[in-house]
Amino acid sequence: MYAVFFALKKPLFEFLYKFAALPKLALITCLLLVLFACKGEIPPLERKDHPLPQDAEVSEAEPGIYGGFLVTAESQQPRTFNPLVAEDAYSSQAIGRFLNGLTTYHPIKEEVVPELARSWEISSDRKSITLHLRRGVLWSDGEPFTAADVIFTFKALFDERYPNRYQGQYIIAGEPIGFEKVDRHTVRFTTARAYSPFLYVIGFIGILPRHKLIDAYEQGTLLQEWSVRTAMHEPGELVGTGPFRVHSFRPGQRIIYEPNPHYWRVDSKGQRLPYVDYLITRFVQDRNTSTVLFASGQIDAADIAPGDVVGVSRNAPLHGFTVHHRGPATGIRYLWFNQKPGVNEDGRPYVEPHKLEWFTNKYFRQAILHGFNREGLIQSVYFGRAELLHSIISPANQRWHNPEVPKFPYDPGRAIELLEGQGFEFREGGQLYDKHGNPVIFDVYASEGDDITPQIMSTFRENMRDLGIRVRVRYLDFGTLVARISRHFEYEAAMMGFTGGADPSGGRAIYLSSGRLHLWNPEQEEPQTEWEAKVDELVYASEETFDLEERVDYVHRMQEIFSEQLPLLYLLTPHAYAGLKDKWQNVHIPAMGSVIWNVDELYLDREL
Amino acid sequence: MIRHLFKEIARRPLGVVCLTILGILYLCTIFSQFLAPYLPTDQDLNNAYHPPTRILMVEWRPHVQVYEQVDPSAARYEPVEGATVPVSFFSSGAQYRLWGIIPADIRLFQVEEPHRIYLLGSDGTGRDVFSRLLYGAQVSLSIGFIGICITMTLGFIVGGVAGYFGGRVDFAAMRLVEFIIAVPSLYLLIALRGALAEYFEPEQMYLVIVIILSLIGWAGAARIIRGMALSLRQRPFVLAAEVMGQSSFRILFKHFLPNLASYLLVAATLSIPAYILAEAALSFLGLGIQEPGTSWGLMLQQAQELKVFTLNLWWLLLPGAAIFITVITFNVLGDVLRDIVDPRQQMVKR
Amino acid sequence: MLAFIIRRILSAFPLLFGISVLVFILMAVAPGDFLDVARSQEDIPAEYIERMEQEFALGEPWHTRYFIWVGNVVQGNLGESWIYRVPVTELLWQRIPATLVLSALSILFALCLAIPLGVLAAIYKDSIFDRISSMFAYAALSIPEFFLALLAVMFAAQTGLFPTGGLSSVEHEFMSFWGRLADYAHHLVLPTIVLGMGSVASYMRIMRANFLDYIRSDFVTTARAKGVPEGRIMFLHVLRNAINPLVSGSGFILATLLSGSILVENVMNYPGLGQLIFEALMRQDEFVVVAAVLMGCVMLMLGNLIADLLLAWSDPRIRLEKN
Repeated sequence: MYAVFFALKKPLFEFLYKFAALPKLALITCLLLVLFACKGEIPPLERKDHPLPQDAEVSEAEPGIYGGFLVTAESQQPRTFNPLVAEDAYSSQAIGRFLNGLTTYHPIKEEVVPELARSWEISSDRKSITLHLRRGVLWSDGEPFTAADVIFTFKALFDERYPNRYQGQYIIAGEPIGFEKVDRHTVRFTTARAYSPFLYVIGFIGILPRHKLIDAYEQGTLLQEWSVRTAMHEPGELVGTGPFRVHSFRPGQRIIYEPNPHYWRVDSKGQRLPYVDYLITRFVQDRNTSTVLFASGQIDAADIAPGDVVGVSRNAPLHGFTVHHRGPATGIRYLWFNQKPGVNEDGRPYVEPHKLEWFTNKYFRQAILHGFNREGLIQSVYFGRAELLHSIISPANQRWHNPEVPKFPYDPGRAIELLEGQGFEFREGGQLYDKHGNPVIFDVYASEGDDITPQIMSTFRENMRDLGIRVRVRYLDFGTLVARISRHFEYEAAMMGFTGGADPSGGRAIYLSSGRLHLWNPEQEEPQTEWEAKVDELVYASEETFDLEERVDYVHRMQEIFSEQLPLLYLLTPHAYAGLKDKWQNVHIPAMGSVIWNVDELYLDREL
Repeated sequence: MIRHLFKEIARRPLGVVCLTILGILYLCTIFSQFLAPYLPTDQDLNNAYHPPTRILMVEWRPHVQVYEQVDPSAARYEPVEGATVPVSFFSSGAQYRLWGIIPADIRLFQVEEPHRIYLLGSDGTGRDVFSRLLYGAQVSLSIGFIGICITMTLGFIVGGVAGYFGGRVDFAAMRLVEFIIAVPSLYLLIALRGALAEYFEPEQMYLVIVIILSLIGWAGAARIIRGMALSLRQRPFVLAAEVMGQSSFRILFKHFLPNLASYLLVAATLSIPAYILAEAALSFLGLGIQEPGTSWGLMLQQAQELKVFTLNLWWLLLPGAAIFITVITFNVLGDVLRDIVDPRQQMVKR
Repeated sequence: MLAFIIRRILSAFPLLFGISVLVFILMAVAPGDFLDVARSQEDIPAEYIERMEQEFALGEPWHTRYFIWVGNVVQGNLGESWIYRVPVTELLWQRIPATLVLSALSILFALCLAIPLGVLAAIYKDSIFDRISSMFAYAALSIPEFFLALLAVMFAAQTGLFPTGGLSSVEHEFMSFWGRLADYAHHLVLPTIVLGMGSVASYMRIMRANFLDYIRSDFVTTARAKGVPEGRIMFLHVLRNAINPLVSGSGFILATLLSGSILVENVMNYPGLGQLIFEALMRQDEFVVVAAVLMGCVMLMLGNLIADLLLAWSDPRIRLEKN
């Protein structure tokens, strides 16, 4: 290329000199501008008429009309389309568009509802559950869906060659669940002990098409199937029973789904769902950018941060959208002290003994929470669009949340009272000392992740200074923080957050004293304290009873213990806001989960 | 030589302007504790996202307008008619230690608690943006200086030694330089920072960043200095010194250093902006200075939230403008210096 | 000449070896590992994490992983991404075209703007135009790239003239070939300007300085004396010579072609290499990071080699062997 350039340099310059290229350049620019002006249109989808399955589910929603496309944004792209590989929420969400589970959780009714299983029976000893599958359901490539697919999925899931995240979830009381085919449309599951969250948990795994994946399964290459490259080059290979199938996938840009022509849900007029022609998910890394995109009408639905509600709402009349208030968010944010006794490999204690004495003292923990001006944070950082968190289960989870737990509002006077009651005293310069004469100083680790964390930590630091406690805040990247708290246990205090699930069984790893994420003192052989033993008991009891009220009662009592003992100091929970264009009908915004959870029922009102 | 340089700069209007701007900036930085009405960590949770307070003249004395919050959900503040608080100059307030040593409590201006003066508004936890900007300058303006000190020293030692001794030393040094240039610097930075972060306090993070930046940056300077040293090596005065039996160390510092000084000066001036911009970029990625510390880059990163656009735009624009002005001044000054030292532009081509 | 090239290529291997070792050491020294994200999720069981630790050899010291990797590389396999479970080469190839196009366009943009501006500034030295353009150059050099990107995104969102980030619009899949091309072009305008702005300034200053050098040279005086029209002198004689350093310097450009800009890509949501590599770096997806770093190094060395060759070609006084 350079050689050509050098050879042509002289004639080229002659040419350029003789025909000053300006007019031509102007012409080309004009042409380009014209091209920019003609925006592409998405043509309406042509739907083929396939017969409806025998056990089609009739939607309770108002019947709508076909057409239109819905655009959403996600901050990250799916990493895989194989449910056995997926670890992150973004992949799971993409997989959920084209695969169905046996059951699913209905966010409005707040209960488990049928999906691929149309009904079920629980045996009298409550250890065996028989599920009746929908008859006549076809995969998106036209093959019939049967019990063989379900058995295949669970066989793959428990196969030694294919480690996956579900295995552990389906091991109950130390034993994998049993599964057998009863007939073409019936499967039976057995558990080692009665396990009430079973129907909820069984819906997690998307049922895989046996006819597509059996070869890979037998060759031992199942985990290599259905990767991002499948979605890019042969999206038709991603066969499912879900409402959509993948139309096209562009890494880093977007994924487009089109309706599954064999989907098993219909409306009351007998029209097959979903109504939208295309569902488009854009990948927008920066949260600010996605908010800007929504505010300028370029995407149809978005989560809006509390601080942006006012700014975004200004554009509402212009682009025809509404910012809906969803109440408290499901995520919980908390701060905790390391209470792990013992020494590490080098013989050093995880926590210095005198500090461990503070941290294991519940009055010390209560005093800290009393001394933290969370109310002020809510008012400033969140513009009043957040609320105090008092329990380990967010108030968003109305069914399980216990509003009657002990509370510790901002009250520095009470904090000092509590501290002095435990032998702490103030000395010169306002510094706090414990009864052995050690100054109260501790380090808090936090992740650098978002913009709110530093504001919370800076406020905490200032508040603690008022109590005579010196807090050093150290920011680590997320991986380092996790490594510290879950592997090396070398820290004094830390702040983190979890996104809660719908059923409390998802939090086992935190609640149980043997749990991996029992953060303050994980993986105990035997419960170290009485109250932890009591919590263990309550968790197990709640999982064994199938009576909902009884379960709720156990979970409520568990929350009371947690809020009294405060192993985690719950901080606050911001309110969730969701922006959605007004032209979409059949919208029911649930307290938790995705706003467009019923995307197959949404339809476009062309008037708006 | 320095005096000659100053004379030359004084003859050029651009040079004078640059020196004045930099002088003001650095004076503000040195006395930031005295100039800033608040500490950078002083919060007021009732006054988040406060707009800049208006200054009124009442009876020939400046007063601060008092505001009240009318809509907490939108952080809207309205001035209270007729309510003002006088600004007191050179009065004593909270204790601080000037430069970490001298105890003092006098500040240039402040208002009586609980009222607050926000010349440039406040941030999400009610901290004064003006004070944070001043304290942030301490980081942003010194990072370049510390950086070039390390870079130029390392560059001079490695480049000088390589050029002076030649042969194997030269070969080894140049391979090392090539190696460092070949490693993509951003990856090295991110990895090193991740590895070092947990051993340092947030306040020390800034030193870590300077050190990492300069450990990456010295290689380029070393290569150029080596080239210049190679030619100096053949000059009669160096040969003479050698014949007289002066030690290599002495020759390096007595003869090489003065001859390379003008290059080092120009290169240093021109590479300070790179450090300032690098600090901003790193902070923007969340890998730079950390709370409760402050720097212009960190402020820029914190202020790029959407809500800042609607609430307090100054918070976004000013750190950006401060970086811009500093960098442009250093660039222009560097060019002026280069014109003086090297009018034919043979040394540094960018 | 050939011997020179071969020697340069051979000497690259120890360097690549050293760099790959360095990357593995750095990844090992950096705290945490790829599985940390999984560890922090409440519903991922411990058994699964242990299985993955074994599979990725994460419990082993870094040199064990290094030898596994070298073993793979010798067989022509750069390993598999842990995040995507896709071969690394394929993952990189997904992003290379986008990055390549953006880098090439921004350099082209910089050259197209810098050469005329530099020439005009030199011809009308010390005029108002010269002053303004040099002020512009200083300003362009002094704006942080990401800040410019931020402003561009805001500009796009406010005016609606340009798309707010990305490489193509949602309608893209349904467009004709020409429509798609126009769509890409429309999306590339702002990133090109943002990325090219810094280079415009530096090229412009080089161009101006070179042009001034040649304007004063003897052959220009001779040409003037011969009565050649002024435009022809400037265009054919001076410009042709003054542009040489830019052209031979374009070898260095090659090195930057595939580096991708993490900052600009993140802010403008551009699906390039930078985004991918940053993610891999943050998640410690080791094989992707190593592959990306090595790719950068190879491009740098190739660029240097080509730059040296071009320099030798355009200036016969330089001897390659001596270098």
